[in-house]
Amino acid sequence: MNNINFERNPSAPYYPGIKFNAETGVCEIEGESYMEEAYKFYLPLINWVKEFTENEKRKLYFNVKLMYFNTSTSKCLLDIFELLKKYAAEGGQVEVTWYYDPDDPDMIDEIKDFERESELNFNIRQLQS
Amino acid sequence: MDEKGIINSVSTHLIDKEQSLIAYEGPFFIDLLTIFGNYLKIMTENNTLIQKKLFKIYVELSQNVAYYAEEFINLENESKRIGIGELRVTKDSAQYQLMTKNLVKVRDANVLSQRCDIINNSALNDLKGLKRELRKSSESNKLGARIGLVQARLISNNPLEFQLIEKNRYYSYFKLMVKFDKNEQH
Repeated sequence: MNNINFERNPSAPYYPGIKFNAETGVCEIEGESYMEEAYKFYLPLINWVKEFTENEKRKLYFNVKLMYFNTSTSKCLLDIFELLKKYAAEGGQVEVTWYYDPDDPDMIDEIKDFERESELNFNIRQLQS
Repeated sequence: MDEKGIINSVSTHLIDKEQSLIAYEGPFFIDLLTIFGNYLKIMTENNTLIQKKLFKIYVELSQNVAYYAEEFINLENESKRIGIGELRVTKDSAQYQLMTKNLVKVRDANVLSQRCDIINNSALNDLKGLKRELRKSSESNKLGARIGLVQARLISNNPLEFQLIEKNRYYSYFKLMVKFDKNEQH
């Protein structure tokens, strides 16, 4: 199974940085996410999580370090959490850690919304600048 | 701006009570929206709470135009559609005001005005529930989650002000204003 690496680019800050590692099971999304047609960007990530949970069946660590994401991105993140929820319900090991920006008090509400919708327990930690 | 299009500093001195920060009419290209967004971040960098809220409302409103405006241009062999519309961001001593205006089909205009009415007449907790419900039921392969207006209302903590202006039998302009109080506390 391939890794996914997508570096952040200052001239296109609407794309987040992505590191999905198939050997370690560590997935990380960081930066900002407000690109056009979010589902086109996130579809390979959703498919990667699907493949990992169906074939690798090891512990998956999902770390979110997004300073900002638009509502289109939030739908894609929810799709990923739905997969993780299904994986956990089938006995798979999942650890979601969401790092929030301390300067953005609304972010905690957003994270708790996702936690409620996905029915997963998140580790919520402050993002270190 | 420097060579990369990044604004390093802005200094304004206006006598008028209302100050125009952005006035634009044309296609809502993502790279252009990013430059405007960076400008708004710089203009509000002394208050990170306002900076974050203003940017979030700005992105949702402008991407609504980019995705859904009925006047648009096609790019990349017509596979990409970029909505055309108007954007104004102004501020006065008490508020920031974000306004977008774009063409919509008459039948969609009615749906939009009903949606705005529902959003404006819902309590905060009901709105959060509506947001979750709409996000969950929206189709993943569509442009957006269709919760941008709910999000703008939640973040601004002010009603959506909207107006439909008839263009002809088939199309109207949808003008949307979101006001955000400078002294807004979380």
